[in-house]
Amino acid sequence: MFHLMPYRELPEDFAERYRSVWVDIPSELFDAQRAHVFYNDTLDELEFAAEMGFDGVCVNEHHSNAYGFMPSPNIMAAALARRTKDVALIVLGNSIALYNPPIRVAEEFAMLDCISGGRLIAGFPVGSSSDTNFAYGMNPATLRDRYYEAEELITKAWANKDVFSFDGKYTQLRYVNIWPRPLQDPRPPIWVPGGGSIETWGWCVEKDYLYAYLSYAGFKRGKVVMDGFWNTAEKMGSAKNPYQAGFLQLVAVADSEQEAADKFGPHGEYFYNKMLHVYPGFADAPGYRTLKTVEAGLLQQTTQFGERPPAMTWKDLLEQGNIVAGTPKQVTERLEAVIKDLHIGHLMVLNQFGSIPHDLAMANIRKTATEVLPNLRHIWEGQYEDRWWPKGLANAQAPRRNLAGAASR
Amino acid sequence: MERDMLSVRGGAFNIDVWEAGSGEPLLYLHGWPGLQPDAFLDGLAADHHVIAPLHPGYGRSTGDEHLQDLQDLVFYYLDFLDAKGLRNIPLVGHSLGAMFAAELAAVQPERFSKLVLIAPFGLFNSDYPVVDFFVSSPDELKAAMWADPSSEAARAVTQVPQTEGDVAVLLERVKSLRVAAKYLWPIPNRGLTKRIHRVTTPTLLLWGDADGIIPQAYGRDFVKLLPNARLEVIANAGHLPQSEQPEEALRLVSTFLES
Repeated sequence: MFHLMPYRELPEDFAERYRSVWVDIPSELFDAQRAHVFYNDTLDELEFAAEMGFDGVCVNEHHSNAYGFMPSPNIMAAALARRTKDVALIVLGNSIALYNPPIRVAEEFAMLDCISGGRLIAGFPVGSSSDTNFAYGMNPATLRDRYYEAEELITKAWANKDVFSFDGKYTQLRYVNIWPRPLQDPRPPIWVPGGGSIETWGWCVEKDYLYAYLSYAGFKRGKVVMDGFWNTAEKMGSAKNPYQAGFLQLVAVADSEQEAADKFGPHGEYFYNKMLHVYPGFADAPGYRTLKTVEAGLLQQTTQFGERPPAMTWKDLLEQGNIVAGTPKQVTERLEAVIKDLHIGHLMVLNQFGSIPHDLAMANIRKTATEVLPNLRHIWEGQYEDRWWPKGLANAQAPRRNLAGAASR
Repeated sequence: MERDMLSVRGGAFNIDVWEAGSGEPLLYLHGWPGLQPDAFLDGLAADHHVIAPLHPGYGRSTGDEHLQDLQDLVFYYLDFLDAKGLRNIPLVGHSLGAMFAAELAAVQPERFSKLVLIAPFGLFNSDYPVVDFFVSSPDELKAAMWADPSSEAARAVTQVPQTEGDVAVLLERVKSLRVAAKYLWPIPNRGLTKRIHRVTTPTLLLWGDADGIIPQAYGRDFVKLLPNARLEVIANAGHLPQSEQPEEALRLVSTFLES
């Protein structure tokens, strides 16, 4: 299960009063007392998902953002590492170009892998333009170049058993020596969340990294992007192993369609109409997208200053595929079709979105984990090998619950 | 103007150079919106041999991938000047090009006889910040750039392509903004204040009184920091005073260059 950790209580008239949920959202809207509750609710929801049978729990990185306020997903993953077992910890990811030197990421991921007993999946996003160029001031003209250099440095640091020097354009290190090293040998699986830059497709195939499309646009838009990835993979002679692809989908499960609409409708509308209210100027810094991508016209809607899209209703969201909702049977059938149509082996499910309160999120997690996922797991089984999943320790150490008792023995 | 490609640094850069007029050579460095032949450049060409290259990454000029930062850019321009055999010449720059001009003059002040900086980037004061024009909507940008956004000059430079067929125009805009961002993002200050005292070249600063991108206060800051400079403010002009009030801009620049 994937969690964005949104701020669940934005004012009713947020979209009218403020220009953006991201980058320059006023800090007066942030209540640390409430954030205390949101952080703990979020961790509870992720831990519950693990207990209920999800194969992995996902956290991600955003900055100056009210729809996702985990600037350091590694902190969340560290908490989860101690309170879960057997599930994969999918950090999707660390925007590696932002860290100076980028071996900071190599070290923290190695720590997480050691603490969790080899359960980490290392996500290497370029990062959105709002996060990297605006909130972190990274130059859009050199961001991608930095990203590729950081990836080279981190993977070399994990692969090389000897101390070495790295003379990069952006990072120069006389002594590269990762201590600790990751538990998984040679390294944790690497997942690359892409947002529609066409060069990333070929790069993932070449590097044998998993390509994940994380969007809130749902499976109809997802189909276009995943087709692009698979077409590229095919041209490059790839076996098109579905486990090399990941996809994010918002999911709401209830006992009837009407119940889903009643319970989740307002929260879905909150997410799309309020939380995705991003000032267009912050969407795409000049140079963030490669010219090839701009030329391919993949992003025409997001790069134009036009009218903001009209508010969407629950009905619109279901029709356009932004959200998959309904009874367990309906959701299972829909997701099975999406998995086959988009050819994906790793489905990331967002069970808490927008303003969904804790109890409803827990109910959604339970229903999804117990009444939907068991009927989807078989789809690619036996046909392909999943080379993008962590090989955790069989005998991983669990937290000792009663330390005082243990010490007195 | 005549256009020709010039190879610099053994072909690492292939530069689109526009030239016009005859007489003493004059180097013109264009601003972030790009290079448009206009009445101001024509006027300069009346008594100068105007040489106006497109910066690497703009239009057909290549080699941008060899430039990581402003220092690389400055050394590229020294190579360009060598390739053209230019010494002891007047240097006129606008906006981003004026920032480059000031940096070049700090490195080799003796190379330039006169310096004209029109609405230069290069300084930053958070009390009156330079506008973050990268995030402005087309309408906001128009209002910030021009004293009269409805003027012919404004339309020629800032009109938004309306049809799908204008993809090339849009791509060029994205491409050139990307290059500009390399030197201006996130804050258009790359440490010029540490070097500007070296610019002993006689300098004329031109500012539009309605510059909504770089407030006029920066004109006074430049005058304070430059050893040998004076400021002229042009009425009814925005960030491109030479396009909006070409006659007045030409009069001031010509008088300065002749002095």
